[in-house]
Amino acid sequence: MNPHPYLRAFLAGAFVPTLVLPLMLTGFIVARLVLQVPFPIERGIVFPMALVPSLWALWNMLWLGSHARTHLALGIHGALLPLLLMPAGAILATSLGILSLGLSGVTWFHTVYLPYAWIAPVFLAVLAAYYLVWKYVVGFLNRTLGIA
Amino acid sequence: MNAHDEDRIKQLLKGAMPPISNAEPPCDLWPAMLRRLDAGPAAPPWFDWALAGGLVVFALALPASIPVFLYYL
Repeated sequence: MNPHPYLRAFLAGAFVPTLVLPLMLTGFIVARLVLQVPFPIERGIVFPMALVPSLWALWNMLWLGSHARTHLALGIHGALLPLLLMPAGAILATSLGILSLGLSGVTWFHTVYLPYAWIAPVFLAVLAAYYLVWKYVVGFLNRTLGIA
Repeated sequence: MNAHDEDRIKQLLKGAMPPISNAEPPCDLWPAMLRRLDAGPAAPPWFDWALAGGLVVFALALPASIPVFLYYL
């Protein structure tokens, strides 16, 4: 008997981003209020706070629902999520003024400059990070909650 | 269906599913089961260690990528 497996999948999926969020909030508060960074970086919290945890949770529910048919490993399934998240995050960041596109690169938060040549390696690194986090952390949570 | 038909069906069923001979396993499987239960989770493969090491090196080589990582977590 395994009642409410999709609710468990939702909670397991939302766990990691929910843990990271307070760290980000602390960093943002220190930068904005203590270091008096003039850029309104609180705009940048919208995406990781409102969308990322929900998408992780829904992605884990999708894995639970489709695993019987696809037999896709959880790490691979998680590594596919940035294909959806990164364009969405970039579009939102651009529209909120967090990300500005230049001739030779992009600038995050008006301070972090990233040349276009580094976009692909950063994307691959995000894929690798997602693969590891989903395989080991979300996998552990799924096993603990009895849905994997 | 009369008694003759029932007997006929019984015979057919018995013929289709012969009795299992030598149903006992060749050895006691319980100790192997206990060893399996006591064994811890498998160690991560070398590929995952290499991936994690590569991520650390990447973050050190390009610290500007760290806020981008956090943005997507």
